[in-house]
Amino acid sequence: MAGTVIGEGLTIEGEVVTEEEVVVNGTVRGTLSSGDLVSVGAGGVIEADVQAASLSVAGQVTGNVNAQDRIDIQAGGRLVGDVKAARLTIADGASFKGNVDMDV
Amino acid sequence: MSGSIIGRTTQIRGNVRGTGPIDIEGRVEGDVTTDGDIVLGEGSVVRGDVAGTSLRVAGSVAGNLTATDSLQLEPGARVVGDLVAPRIGIAEGALVKGAVRTEGMAAPPRTTGRSAPARRLEPAAREETPPPPRAEAGAQALKKAPPPRKSSPQSASSAAKAAPPAKAPAKRAVRKPPPPVVPALAKGTRGRKKKAKRK
Repeated sequence: MAGTVIGEGLTIEGEVVTEEEVVVNGTVRGTLSSGDLVSVGAGGVIEADVQAASLSVAGQVTGNVNAQDRIDIQAGGRLVGDVKAARLTIADGASFKGNVDMDV
Repeated sequence: MSGSIIGRTTQIRGNVRGTGPIDIEGRVEGDVTTDGDIVLGEGSVVRGDVAGTSLRVAGSVAGNLTATDSLQLEPGARVVGDLVAPRIGIAEGALVKGAVRTEGMAAPPRTTGRSAPARRLEPAAREETPPPPRAEAGAQALKKAPPPRKSSPQSASSAAKAAPPAKAPAKRAVRKPPPPVVPALAKGTRGRKKKAKRK
């Protein structure tokens, strides 16, 4: 069970900081920081800079993302912003606009 | 699964708004508003106003709590702020510093405390005026009923069937509005009694 769930219909405007896994099915505006996985559901919207161990996007993310481990943009997912991660996957059908910074 | 959970290690600085139930186990510095139920778990800390349908608080809150249905403070809850809800429960061991008002659904009784008698009188007055015609109609029906009984048994049975509904309102008229009926009876009875005494 995920530590934090931003349910459908819920909007958080501000700063979210956690050490747990975060599931976003609602909306987060501001900044989001997690020490674990952040997954954005199909209906989820993040309009914030994201700092996380890893990020999975099936919804929409607008903002710069910094992930220690990996970023997965799934089919139907949309990410607009610069990305910094060790690993990055973009599924067929996903949309992405931004710069990628992978430690080479 | 539209419910939301603010986990134990989660800190939110900003407002949380929306729909559906919210379970807060972590820390929120800002207002929490939803049209669903809110649970502030043990160890939760909220600095801001919390508004929802029904609230269950076991954590710490510095802010006003407003519920449209019910508000329950569990043992260990610490609230500095006002509590407003139609139904409020404060368990032993809960700390509260602030005003407590049972309002919302409970507010009408206060205003109706004065207006309720007037409202009660209105329907009573309405009931008092109509019954006399019913009673008269019932009396007329009773007067009209006897002749058919003599003429034919079928009409008598039909009259018997028709009689109960006619009698029922008459009984109601006697029971509910005594003022108009009793004086009339009193006059007649007095006269009969006097006549009886004279005889």
